[in-house]
Amino acid sequence: MNADTAAARVENATKVYGSGDTTVTALDDVTISFERGKFTAIMGPSGSGKSTLLHCVAGLDDLTGGSVFIGSVRLGDLKDKELTLLRREKVGFIFQAFNLIPTLDAAENITLPVNIAGRDADPAWFDTVVDTVGLRDRLTHRPSELSGGQQQRVAAARALVSRPEIVFADEPSGNLDSKSSAELLGFMRRAVDEFGQTIVMVTHDAHAAAFADRVVFLADGRQSGELADPTADQILEYLKSLGG
Amino acid sequence: MLKLALKGVLAHKVRLAMTAVAIVLGVAFVSGTYVFTDSITRSFEQLFRDANAGVDLVVQGVSDFGTTVPRIDEGILANVKAVPGVEVAAPSVSGSAQIVAPAPCEKGPGADPAKPCPIGGNGPPTLGFSYVPEGVGLTTFNLTEGDWPAAADDVLVNAHTAEAGHLAVGDVVDVITPAGVEPFHISGIASFGEDDSLMGATLAVFGFDTAQRIFDSEGQISSISVVLDPLLDPTVVQAQISSFLPDGVEVITGADQTENNLDEFASGIGFINTILLVIAGVAVFVGAFLIQNTFRIIVAQRTRELAMLRAIGATARQTTTMVILEALFVGVVASAIGIGVGVLIAFGLKSAFGAFGFGLPATALVIAPRTIIVGFVVGIVVTLGSTLVPARKAAQVPPIAALRDVDTPPRSLGRRIAVGVGVTGLGLLMLLVGLFVTFDNALSVVGLGALVTFVGVSLVAPLIARGFARWVGGPMARTGVAGRLAQENAMRRPRRTASTASALMIGVALVSVIAVFSASAKAGVADVFREQFSTDFQVRLTGFSDPTAAGLPPALGAALRTLPEVSVVVTDRFGDFRFAGDTEAGFLLAVDGPYDQVVHIDMVAGSPADLGPGDALVGRADSERLGIRVGDTVTIQFASLVTADLRVVGIYEDTAIGLPLVIDYTTYEQHIAFRLDRFVYVKAAAGVDLEQARVAITAVTDAYPSAAVTDTEELIGDLESQIDGLLNLLVVLLAFAIIIALLGIVNTLALSISERKREIGLLRAVGMQRRQVRRMVRWEAVLIALFGGVLGLAVGLALGIALVVAVGEGLRLTIPGGQLFTYLIAAGLGGVLAAAIPARRGAKLDILDAIAYE
Repeated sequence: MNADTAAARVENATKVYGSGDTTVTALDDVTISFERGKFTAIMGPSGSGKSTLLHCVAGLDDLTGGSVFIGSVRLGDLKDKELTLLRREKVGFIFQAFNLIPTLDAAENITLPVNIAGRDADPAWFDTVVDTVGLRDRLTHRPSELSGGQQQRVAAARALVSRPEIVFADEPSGNLDSKSSAELLGFMRRAVDEFGQTIVMVTHDAHAAAFADRVVFLADGRQSGELADPTADQILEYLKSLGG
Repeated sequence: MLKLALKGVLAHKVRLAMTAVAIVLGVAFVSGTYVFTDSITRSFEQLFRDANAGVDLVVQGVSDFGTTVPRIDEGILANVKAVPGVEVAAPSVSGSAQIVAPAPCEKGPGADPAKPCPIGGNGPPTLGFSYVPEGVGLTTFNLTEGDWPAAADDVLVNAHTAEAGHLAVGDVVDVITPAGVEPFHISGIASFGEDDSLMGATLAVFGFDTAQRIFDSEGQISSISVVLDPLLDPTVVQAQISSFLPDGVEVITGADQTENNLDEFASGIGFINTILLVIAGVAVFVGAFLIQNTFRIIVAQRTRELAMLRAIGATARQTTTMVILEALFVGVVASAIGIGVGVLIAFGLKSAFGAFGFGLPATALVIAPRTIIVGFVVGIVVTLGSTLVPARKAAQVPPIAALRDVDTPPRSLGRRIAVGVGVTGLGLLMLLVGLFVTFDNALSVVGLGALVTFVGVSLVAPLIARGFARWVGGPMARTGVAGRLAQENAMRRPRRTASTASALMIGVALVSVIAVFSASAKAGVADVFREQFSTDFQVRLTGFSDPTAAGLPPALGAALRTLPEVSVVVTDRFGDFRFAGDTEAGFLLAVDGPYDQVVHIDMVAGSPADLGPGDALVGRADSERLGIRVGDTVTIQFASLVTADLRVVGIYEDTAIGLPLVIDYTTYEQHIAFRLDRFVYVKAAAGVDLEQARVAITAVTDAYPSAAVTDTEELIGDLESQIDGLLNLLVVLLAFAIIIALLGIVNTLALSISERKREIGLLRAVGMQRRQVRRMVRWEAVLIALFGGVLGLAVGLALGIALVVAVGEGLRLTIPGGQLFTYLIAAGLGGVLAAAIPARRGAKLDILDAIAYE
């Protein structure tokens, strides 16, 4: 894998919180590439730095040392305004919760990033995305009228509708029951297979990670290993070996 | 609970600080008013005491009401002097005398620099006194330069006047007196009291004979100051003197004179006090809305915390107590600060008065215990009162709310409508009763009615807030996502939006009432003058003046009568009087000349042309009330309590003149000492071009620097700008209430933004620029402000129209559309201003903080 095929990558990423005695090193010299058109999962125990890594790659947080690239753009060089524009144009997000603006209906939430940019969504693509996530009959509902699974699917549709270079998902199924979770992850899988979308997802759930093409393991702020096209059982085995 | 309440206060420092600002401003206005008026009163009290300090008895004309003290016969002086035990009996004559500073002098922009400047006037009196050697030491005049007036053309001026006109001993100045304009020679300068600050009044002292001549008081004096042998009982001498005084003349002790002076002063200052307190009350009322809103939002945001307390065993009573204790703490601290700020305001007011030429004595500010008590009571009562509803809400939080999000169901819409409409109706009813039914304290009922109406409208407002945001926010939403979100944000908590807007509504409503009233008054004035003045020109004092205290020398009218270019010259004057048997005093109009030829009068009966000495014209309302017809005798009473029987020669429609009685100058001068004319009406002679007549008139008035010549349209213009000036002053004072309301918008937005931290974080994460976040907050503020503005205009229009209809006489209902629209735009801009800080805070939110999980 080289720089050309990576949708995003981090080089020697270090992130230190606090100062003096209270210093916490969340990322310790991490170098990872996220291949274009692939679904990558990042796993690790609490405090392993997986969420910090995601926030830094997504341009929501900055590194203490090292660099982050989205495509060929180095994020450290960007001002807040440019970073915001980059997120708007090239990045999609699915968070664990609080994904949606409660005052807007589902359709408005989906087109939010495009509308923020002052554009209208491409209607054909919008329809494709909406049908893929199965929200056709829920478009005029507000978030409070949607189930948790539906809300996350709206968030996923929003992440895709602007055709971003890369979608970051932070425990997207963390609050969902297993059925809704499988539906959401299945949809994300299809987005990769059918639309060639690049997705990076942080999770602690082996079943969720099993939907990915590649699983990267973090521990204590460092990469501790990875698996390609794993099954849930393989992942659990691997985690057990780490813990053992 | 006390500990928890204190922690609660500390945890919500910023939002409570905003609440506190509202209380601080309200309390500061109240206490500042008291400190200011107390200080003025105290210093003048001292001045009056000093002024009468050496005087045992004062002999003067009786003046039961009104402002002009009648003169007394000079012959009384000899009789008083002859009373055993009288050591000094110093006569005094007083009247109006305005010093004119020679050109070049300081004057307003646009004035002719070559013209001289009359000093003072425009409100503060221009007083003239006489000097007698035996009177020195009986007044608080301290000679600082030169000498007392000795020669017939000598004048002594007070230091303030000398300073204002850049005058020095030896200068020659013109002085405007009832006798005309004459040059005088400044013999000396004296200060009145310690620092010669008399709220802008000017003083001139003349020799005794000169004073009698120029004040048109030959053979008469205003008062006699008596000093007694200190061994004698003053009451005995007082009785002795009293025994030979004619009717209408009294002898009182120096101490009583001081009390009279103080009472008179207190009623003058009381008016200012009342106006300031009413405006302070408005500020406090608006503040109450802000406080109530803040506490409600805080309680809502702390639902989980309160529920947790309930879950671990706190009673509903305890959670209520906690909220109330917090409010109490805020109220006490804010009131204390407010009183401190009030002292600063009083200091500022004093300086401002000084800067505008109304110099006040430089005594220390008086902070009476009453001021502090009222400040605390107002601050604490308002804070606690406004917290009652939020505190009750706190009690209703169920313990289960700690575990999941429960929205306490809002009260039923029907009940809310019923209560809101009921309260609004009650308020309007009180207003109408106060306006249209005559009884004591009607004005207070009107004020209370207005307050109740405001509360009622604020109760109904949440019901229309959503619809308003939908319609008015529509175009806003089409400008982009920021506008759309702002619209939704304004709609999602209609009660909050409505409550915030209601605070602004009050200020906007009051300025709208003023706008409607002043437009109607201007239209009314224009109508009356256009319809009734058949004169070509009027001559009158420039600027604002009290027609019973200032005016034109009669010599001016006399000079105009000699002009060949004019055919008719009529002068008029105001005077105090009452119909015999009445308790309320009013003004009468005295006219000299064929009044009906210069003013069109609608007569019910009789003719104004018949008016001669001993005759009267009576207004229709009073003639009907008193059962008077033409040919009857009407008995009237003057301020000296002397009565006069006048023959009624005509009855006129009240709107024609606006005063209930018209008499001629002969009758007037028999009973009233005032000698200055209000208007001189001039009609050009037949065949004389108006421009030519004006040139001739102006040539005469040029010698009278305080006189202005106008035609009717110019007069209307002048009066309109005077009305504007007065009412603009009120609007400026009401700005205080509007600033508090804008603070309310700042507060609500700040609280809403902290509530919506996650949303804003999400918006930022998916690519919203800081600029767009700011725009979103700003649009919401504009929506709230416009809502407040529209409500205010609606209520203000209703109140204004009711007020104009109730007053009726002299007004023509006029809605100043352009001005009201400007207010609405200003409200919107106020919203933009109020949004500045919350918008910045919103835009600066850290995205990671905002989207972080618990």
